[in-house]
Amino acid sequence: MEMLGLYPVWFEPTLGSGWIIGIIATIHVLFSHTSVGAALVFSYLAVVAYRKNRPELLDYIRRYGLFLLVFSYVLGSITGPGIWFSTTVGSPRGISALIHSFVWKWATEWVFFVIEVIGVYMIVYLVNKVDQKTHLRISIIFGLASYTTMLIIIGILSFMLMPGNENWYTEGGYLNGFYGANTFAQLAMRTAFMFTMTAVVGGIVASSIKDIDFRKEMVRRLAILGLVATAAGLGLFKWYLSTIPATAELVMENRLPEYFTPALISVMGGIMAYFAATLAAPKLLKPAIAGVMTVVILVFGLWPEEVARESIRKPYVAGGYVYSNQVIGRDVPGLGIHSEIPTIEEHGFTNSLIFLPEELRTVTDSNKEAVGQALALNTCSNCHSLTDTGIRPLANYFGDDSSESDIAAYLRAALSSGTTLYMPQIPLQQDEALALASFIRQLKDQSIEIAADQGNPITVTQSH
Amino acid sequence: MNVDSLYALRDVAGVPSHPILFLVLGVVTFALHMFAVHVMLGGAALTIRGALSQDSYWRQLANAMLSTAKIAVSVAVVIGVAPLLFVQVIYDPFWYTSNVLSAWWVIGFIIILSIAYLLIYLFYFKNEDLTQNKTKCPGSMILSLALFILVGLIMHTLTNQMLSPDQWMEWYAPQGQIDASGTQLHSINWARFIFMIALAAPVTGAWLYGYRHYISVRPGSDSGYLEFVHALARKLLTQGSIVSLIIGAIWMANLPENQAEFLTNPMLYITAVALIALAMVPTLFGAKINNGYTAYWLVAIAFVVIALVAVDREIIRWFALVVESGYNPMDYPINMDWYSTILFFATFAVVGGMACTYLLTVAWQAGQTEGTYTPSVAISRLGNWTIYIIAIWIVHYFAVGFWVWAQ
Repeated sequence: MEMLGLYPVWFEPTLGSGWIIGIIATIHVLFSHTSVGAALVFSYLAVVAYRKNRPELLDYIRRYGLFLLVFSYVLGSITGPGIWFSTTVGSPRGISALIHSFVWKWATEWVFFVIEVIGVYMIVYLVNKVDQKTHLRISIIFGLASYTTMLIIIGILSFMLMPGNENWYTEGGYLNGFYGANTFAQLAMRTAFMFTMTAVVGGIVASSIKDIDFRKEMVRRLAILGLVATAAGLGLFKWYLSTIPATAELVMENRLPEYFTPALISVMGGIMAYFAATLAAPKLLKPAIAGVMTVVILVFGLWPEEVARESIRKPYVAGGYVYSNQVIGRDVPGLGIHSEIPTIEEHGFTNSLIFLPEELRTVTDSNKEAVGQALALNTCSNCHSLTDTGIRPLANYFGDDSSESDIAAYLRAALSSGTTLYMPQIPLQQDEALALASFIRQLKDQSIEIAADQGNPITVTQSH
Repeated sequence: MNVDSLYALRDVAGVPSHPILFLVLGVVTFALHMFAVHVMLGGAALTIRGALSQDSYWRQLANAMLSTAKIAVSVAVVIGVAPLLFVQVIYDPFWYTSNVLSAWWVIGFIIILSIAYLLIYLFYFKNEDLTQNKTKCPGSMILSLALFILVGLIMHTLTNQMLSPDQWMEWYAPQGQIDASGTQLHSINWARFIFMIALAAPVTGAWLYGYRHYISVRPGSDSGYLEFVHALARKLLTQGSIVSLIIGAIWMANLPENQAEFLTNPMLYITAVALIALAMVPTLFGAKINNGYTAYWLVAIAFVVIALVAVDREIIRWFALVVESGYNPMDYPINMDWYSTILFFATFAVVGGMACTYLLTVAWQAGQTEGTYTPSVAISRLGNWTIYIIAIWIVHYFAVGFWVWAQ
């Protein structure tokens, strides 16, 4: 038997594994970007404190650092590997592809992460316990090590969308995969926005400073940082967009909701207005307001950004060769990787899947819905919920009146040939297509029943 | 699960260096991680014990152990990233399958660990000085410790499930019905798990010897408190080692069939002897244990015992997966990448070595100094060079990057 190296599937019926990965990733981005930005701000403030003999700046570093210990280093250091854990269960071959190409890069990042974590404890707990020059050295080491972790992870994030250099497919090599225009554009954009986050989160601490003049000064410093960073970030976002592949642009145009761009502009406008207001009237800033703004950035800024980043990778999930449904979708001769599509075309999924009960390997009238469910789990559920809730419910993509044979015909045509831009090629055998169609029809019937109970019929036009 | 299926699950990209490197790094970093975990568990337990006591020495110890536990969690989490990385590289078919089969617990691990971590900080912020004030909110610390043990149990289960590929299909599709919910923990080896947790006692005992010596050199240290810590350290080290040995023997007596060959392996007996030796150190050395650097050497010996356990764990995995299942991680296809391999080891040795030496030396000496600590010229120079070397690393990153981009 020719086997496909697909793992068992985890199906989460309420949110879907994709959203769970997204939630953890979004939270991690807030924590990690804030901590990297803050590390660099701390280095700058430590220099100013040393040169101008301003110990109150060190006190601010200590207080913001203590806050970050909990906010970023407790939760950030857990949600970082948390992304590994969630992708392990939601997209094992996706994370495996990244791990196997970039293990040494991740290990290198780990070295800097260790330095960073030692550093944050020291800059917090050694204020006034070591001489200022030593504290300055520690702050600079901390800042540089922290930013280096970002330098490293950016290349891996870019590779998720596409290898830095097209030669990677033919020659392999970590450098070809890691570096490219998108790597630097993304680095520049994220660097800018990380300062935006640092300025917002820093406001929580700055607004609680007791000395009024010093509080005003710090709130104003953060507001200026935030304004400059956000404006720069918007410009760099355009550069970033110019570096994404044409297919990703098409997916953006066609698959992202219409409100995405205006919503993004509104969020950025809101952030700029927030910084402008705190610059003009620093007294108005309270910890609760800065806290609310942090949540606003998380929910209305980072979440859509992460969703968009996930969407534009479609139909791939890593390196432009691992499909979102975990099948290897193209050859990578540079690493000796062969597309699994020919194997599936020849043998079908049911004869190739490792984790499939033996009684489901042959489609019969009595088991076709069970086979269909197994196929849906393996080929669809990474991106489409098999219930009415969660990420892109599968049933919503088919009309109320679609018969099993209509659905099967669609599956055998558009999907099997791989002609739908953002969908993986899924070459189902005839009996597999019928089995999957039978399951989808059953889902559709359940969906209609639920909608009827709620008095809200679902139509195809709602299906996005 | 036949061996062809296991090989089919392997990542198609191969590995960028010889698999032995990942195996060795995995064992070493796991040992470091477990050592930090043991210090954290022991520190947290002593914090609770001290915080619930009226005795001033116990409360003083609780104060110190709270800081220890807080930092040890960070160290455990940060170092734990490394073995988590390396296990995915060479044992990917086993690790990923085991995780997916208990997916909700994997997600739960993240949430529970976050809560446990935050609870330590909650207790810390409520009790910044246990020597002066009454204990507030002790439940947060107790719950935190319980949750840390629970995340340990989850991690143990994921590791244990890896070792039973023959049962995977039964767990995934009982009676032929696919259960993709990931809500079950399928395989717990209680003796193994309790043994791993019990080792926290001797490790914490050794740690307390080191702590006692560290504070004893401070001016005006309280000899009564030092004696109290010494007595507790001795008790934890001796009795903890013996208890661990008994639980370890129970684990060995009940090894699953596919791991039973480990009973004939010399490493098992070397580890047992090392644990007995650790238990006997206080008796053998007597009061001399507090002389010079002996106490710090004892901490190192405790680490060696944990490292031996990490090696044992790897040998058991080897028996289960290589000998019994026929899967050999050493024949993983290699797509050698010299640049990233050399870059890691150079960064680890040079940047990591210099930075950690500088930072830890400053932290260590500042902790032993009354008032403001000013490092020597040599140490300050090391700090400057650490800055330069990281800066050079960053310049190299962009130089190589722009060169590649320009191709």
